[in-house]
Amino acid sequence: MMMMRTAIRIVALIGALLTTGLVMSEDGEETTTPYFQSRALNVPILAGWEDQSGEDFAQFHLAEAEATIRAAIAPQDDIIAAVGADLNDAFGIEVGQPIYQDKVNLADGTWSVLVFDYGEETTASVMARLAGGGTVVISFVERDPAARTALLTVAQADDALDDPTPEIAFAIESLTGMSPSDLSRAESIRLPSGEWTVYAGASMSAMGMVFGNDSYVALQEGAPGNLAALAEAYNRTLLGFFITPDSSHYLALGMAVVFVILGALVGSLFWRERGLRKDLALLEQLAGEEP
Amino acid sequence: MKSLPMDLRKDTSPMPRLLRVLTVITVLGFAGTLALGLKVAGADIQQGEIQRIFYIHMPSFFGAFTAFGLTLIGGIIYLARKNETWDRIALAGVEVGLAFSLINLLTGSIWARPIWNTWWTWDPRLTSAAIMCLTYAAYLMLRAGIDDPGKRRAFMSVYGILAFVTVLITLFIIRIVPETIHPVIVGASPQNAQGGFEATSGVVIALAPSLLLWLTLMPITIIWHRVRLEARIEAMNQLKLQALSE
Amino acid sequence: MKTPFFTCVSAIISKDLRAEIRARELISVMALFALLSILVFSFALELDREAREEAVSGVLWVTLIFASTLGFNRSMAQERDHGNLDALLLAPVSRAAIFVGKLLGNFIFTLIVGLAMLPLMTALYGLALLDGWIIVTTALGIFGFATIGTLLATMTVQTRAREALLPIALLPIALPFLLTAVRATKGILSGAPAAEWQGPLGMLAAIIVIYLALCLLLYEYVLEE
Repeated sequence: MMMMRTAIRIVALIGALLTTGLVMSEDGEETTTPYFQSRALNVPILAGWEDQSGEDFAQFHLAEAEATIRAAIAPQDDIIAAVGADLNDAFGIEVGQPIYQDKVNLADGTWSVLVFDYGEETTASVMARLAGGGTVVISFVERDPAARTALLTVAQADDALDDPTPEIAFAIESLTGMSPSDLSRAESIRLPSGEWTVYAGASMSAMGMVFGNDSYVALQEGAPGNLAALAEAYNRTLLGFFITPDSSHYLALGMAVVFVILGALVGSLFWRERGLRKDLALLEQLAGEEP
Repeated sequence: MKSLPMDLRKDTSPMPRLLRVLTVITVLGFAGTLALGLKVAGADIQQGEIQRIFYIHMPSFFGAFTAFGLTLIGGIIYLARKNETWDRIALAGVEVGLAFSLINLLTGSIWARPIWNTWWTWDPRLTSAAIMCLTYAAYLMLRAGIDDPGKRRAFMSVYGILAFVTVLITLFIIRIVPETIHPVIVGASPQNAQGGFEATSGVVIALAPSLLLWLTLMPITIIWHRVRLEARIEAMNQLKLQALSE
Repeated sequence: MKTPFFTCVSAIISKDLRAEIRARELISVMALFALLSILVFSFALELDREAREEAVSGVLWVTLIFASTLGFNRSMAQERDHGNLDALLLAPVSRAAIFVGKLLGNFIFTLIVGLAMLPLMTALYGLALLDGWIIVTTALGIFGFATIGTLLATMTVQTRAREALLPIALLPIALPFLLTAVRATKGILSGAPAAEWQGPLGMLAAIIVIYLALCLLLYEYVLEE
């Protein structure tokens, strides 16, 4: 009976610890940014945007700007094909030739930067890179008839320079027919993501921010006055997004090692036990023969 | 037929009830904590599935701590009382502790491959853990090298007491050599730590029972079985010597 | 009646010293090993000036610990082969006195080798190793090796594999000495402010006190019957 009581106490102790763990975990919940999470994709949820995410893609829509930010992993391992398939799936856009195409090296790999233009209404800015067997596509699609907005990342011409002006000028020249000199430098503004340099002109505004060896650049024709909010949201998505690495093979290897070592430990007990029984049988046999 | 010595007849005597119960609870508990760690707790979004190995990696070190602690206590009590059972506990503690710290080292190494991008690095904490393993491996070699049973028990008790210093060093190494990259999950991480994660909801639920199991039931149950086996092995060796001398 | 503690300790030390002066077995072996080790290290590591500063404290202590292992083995093997241990055990002498006597003997021989290494390495590596604090660190570290080494060598000479087992048993357990001594030496050598190397040096002294107490308590169990 003593033993049963000890056993019950042990079980009670484990139960108590489990409960403590549960109680402690209640306080442990921190107030970090909420994330969209699927099997491998992690995207920060944009506050104030309508969440249209599905099971395996994150999508946020801002009605007043008619803008959508979307992150998904397309199964194709060809970037252009993947971007085309993803935009077609999500927005019904037939993707043609991009009006801008470049590559930038970021901390997590080489990204393709693409901008597509579909006349007055639709502009799509895309960042894509290969990941695992597929392609990560992060796109910004804007369908406001009153504005054309493009968001892109440009490698810095001069790493030492802490000013995005050359990249803004480059983007304006590549994407619009305009000359950068049509814009005048306004004051810089401070957003949660950092210090942005702003240029403004009669029918166009541009802003940029240096980050590492690259500049984020946002251009807008027309003047709905929401460029900063859109640039900030896309930037948040780009920087906050990450892919959970597939490390399940390592977990399997680790568990195999655990079982092999524990098996060897317990197995050695049985092995020695068996040897002991054999020896005992032999000795008994010898003792029996002796008379 | 000659009568066999008492110790060997224990072989046919039933296992103590408490040991039976402990064995069943340990096996069930091991399965339970595995289920908690592999299924119930969520996967870490930064590290992926491999983070689950932590629910064994850290508890296995504390299991080794208990086992080596029993070697220390067994050594002290053996020297004081000369009761052979305590020497057997010390030996069993070394074997179990060695297996557990090997699990600790290898799971750590397998975790480090995707997270630190290397199987092994000469980090102070990793190095001291490896040296701890080698110290107890030396215990087994030394033990095998001493023929006289009385001397063997006394010497190994002494060595088991000294060897515990390496366990303490592994625990406290970050205070002596602070520049470790090994993360600390409970409490403040060292400045250079890489690959830590928050001990939140799911982590605590999966970790607490596993830690408790590895700290107490796993080492104690296996050591108990090993001690019973060692008693019979020693009796058998005596019997063999008798048979040879006849 | 037991022989007084210090009489016994000094008798053991003077016996060891006289034997060494006559046979010169211990110091010559250790010194030759240390010299070879220093040369082998400088060839194997291809040390340039900068690397030397980084590596020299490691070279010093690795050489010292292997040289002292050699010495401890030899010294205890002599005791065993000449039957001195049995004689000492029969004599009315406390075990602690035997331990302290052997410990101090081992310490003195290893210290002589260690102190001879410092000017030699100063000359060969072109680094100022002849510093008061480095000498203190060397003496402390060697004393640390000697405490644990004397205890373990007494055990290992009574085993089957004898000499082979001492390094295996000694190295992991002497690690705290090695760790703190290397840190202190490196700090002193690089001319860092005293606050940076006094920590490890103090820790070295503290660990010596702990191990010395442990060894004094445990020695009687390795010298039974």
